[in-house]
Amino acid sequence: QTKTGVLKISHDIFLWSDIISTVEFNHTGELLATGDKGGRVVIFQREPESKNEPYNQGEYNVYSTFQSHEPEFDYLKSLEIEEKINKIKWLPQQNAAHSLLSTNDKTIKLWKVTERDKRPEGYNLKDEEGKLKDLSTVTSLQVPVLKPMDLMVEVTPRRIFANGHTYHVNSISVNSDCETYMSADDLRINLWHLAITDRSFNIVDIKPANMEDLTEVITASEFHPHHCNLFVYSSSKGSLRLCDMRASALCDKHSKLFEEPEDPSNRSFFSEIISSVSDVKFSHSGRYMLTRDYLTVKVWDLNMETKPIETYQVHDYLRSKLCSLYENDCIFDKFECAWNGSDSVIMTGAYNNFFRMFDRNTKRDVTLEASRESSKPRAILKPRRVCVGGKRRKDDISVDSLDFTKKILHTAWHPTENIIAIAATNNLYIFQDKVNSEMH
Amino acid sequence: MEFRLEAHRIVSISLGKIYSARGQRGGLKLHKNLLVSLVLRSARRVYLGEPGGECALPPRPGPPPPPDCERLRRGCRPLASEAAARGRPECPAESPRKRSAAERDPAAGYPGKKPRREAEQPPPQEDMETGNVASLISIFGSGFSGLLGKERGAAEATEPGQVCCEQPVLRSLNPWSTAIVAF
Repeated sequence: QTKTGVLKISHDIFLWSDIISTVEFNHTGELLATGDKGGRVVIFQREPESKNEPYNQGEYNVYSTFQSHEPEFDYLKSLEIEEKINKIKWLPQQNAAHSLLSTNDKTIKLWKVTERDKRPEGYNLKDEEGKLKDLSTVTSLQVPVLKPMDLMVEVTPRRIFANGHTYHVNSISVNSDCETYMSADDLRINLWHLAITDRSFNIVDIKPANMEDLTEVITASEFHPHHCNLFVYSSSKGSLRLCDMRASALCDKHSKLFEEPEDPSNRSFFSEIISSVSDVKFSHSGRYMLTRDYLTVKVWDLNMETKPIETYQVHDYLRSKLCSLYENDCIFDKFECAWNGSDSVIMTGAYNNFFRMFDRNTKRDVTLEASRESSKPRAILKPRRVCVGGKRRKDDISVDSLDFTKKILHTAWHPTENIIAIAATNNLYIFQDKVNSEMH
Repeated sequence: MEFRLEAHRIVSISLGKIYSARGQRGGLKLHKNLLVSLVLRSARRVYLGEPGGECALPPRPGPPPPPDCERLRRGCRPLASEAAARGRPECPAESPRKRSAAERDPAAGYPGKKPRREAEQPPPQEDMETGNVASLISIFGSGFSGLLGKERGAAEATEPGQVCCEQPVLRSLNPWSTAIVAF
């Protein structure tokens, strides 16, 4: 049975199962998929811009909703498997249909999304409702014809990739070869063929022979956007490993290890937790990687393993509050990060429904808020500021009045345009930059 | 001294998290519990004043020189242990890894790779190895005060389910801290 607990935040009351757990644009940006804790997927489609309705330019409306995963119970281990959708990845479109992969903690599913806008009419043997006709009334043969009908979107499960993971799946990534994809859990990464569900190849295994020796887990992974033999995975210790599947079958030995030495002046009980990488994303160019840990986002150059080329502070004012954040579990929050289409701007979420953008060229950054009050249609988002003592301006928020229950963990950027999707708990915000809709 | 107070607080918060993780929906979260166990280990070292405890703290001016924090960070045991004195290598070059594919299933038919064919044999249900939690919980069930009794001897640890140990309980948390990691 779906969990229907109620979570109260300020004055909003909503279902636990409605909390959005992943957001992903497809390769053209025409479709946007969200997954939630109740195992549902909602797909939005962008309305084509038309001169007739200039105010409806390019807005996203619901295209299809379906139940992807249900809660399961593993009786042997006495474990409930959550139906929460951890990740959705779109396949590149190869025909009229769209396909996407969705995964919970254990099972990955391939879904095919098709449109039906015609239906055959004029069957010989059955009537309009599908009932068999009385044959004595059939005096001539007719050829059924396709007649237009109201658009219907059908989503069907085409493959179910089960039993591949003992631990919890944290990421999936479709290969640029469009034939394979990988799924990563805490200790292993498997390679699958999209058409084959009864076997997978294990390509990374960091499970120690003795579990008591465990010091590190896999936190995220992604295929290189252009080189189908390369992939990266991040660890709870803050390192990145670039692996080459052509070098060996089992990629336990990395080709490159990206790791920054710890800053001894920042050492604390929680140094290890805050260095754990929660997300890793290749740039569209394939030249760089973006990582998110608890307090920063970092840009890494594939050609330099010793340290990131850029580090941006997301909310450094939390550094002195790590003990409280450990106590209330916020320190374990896993924020995602995103590139814009031209790799010039990076984005990530924070608390109080704030999200941050960093322009890599101008080195300017901005903090914006996703909230109903500040997001009337066609309103301009006002930059926000968190004040850390010192002079306080009007509309500044003090660190102590930040709402840590309002966290933006999942964000996505349109592949080519300045359109972003922000998941704030159970609400999805889509912001468009109309002035600068072209990438600069 | 205040570091010991903070360490004490962090130890108790961490134990509480491990205890409550047991009933979590969706099963034990390996990542989170590993991080909690690492924090617990650091805080315990500071609280007990063990060598290597300083690694969890920001550096203070003046002597003594800090221990090799990088080695500790990589999961090696402190050099001041008996095993090191015996000359046994304490730290592998990398974390212990499972044996390479070549040693696993030579009959797989694919060079080096081991596909798991469900049709031919049902995959053995791999255990997440959470069995050690039960003994851990029986200790925590008696309350944290039971663990803080540094002066207590073995005679007091007589309740069923508790560990009988020669040394004060918290000092011998070492086997239990590894049990935490074994989620």
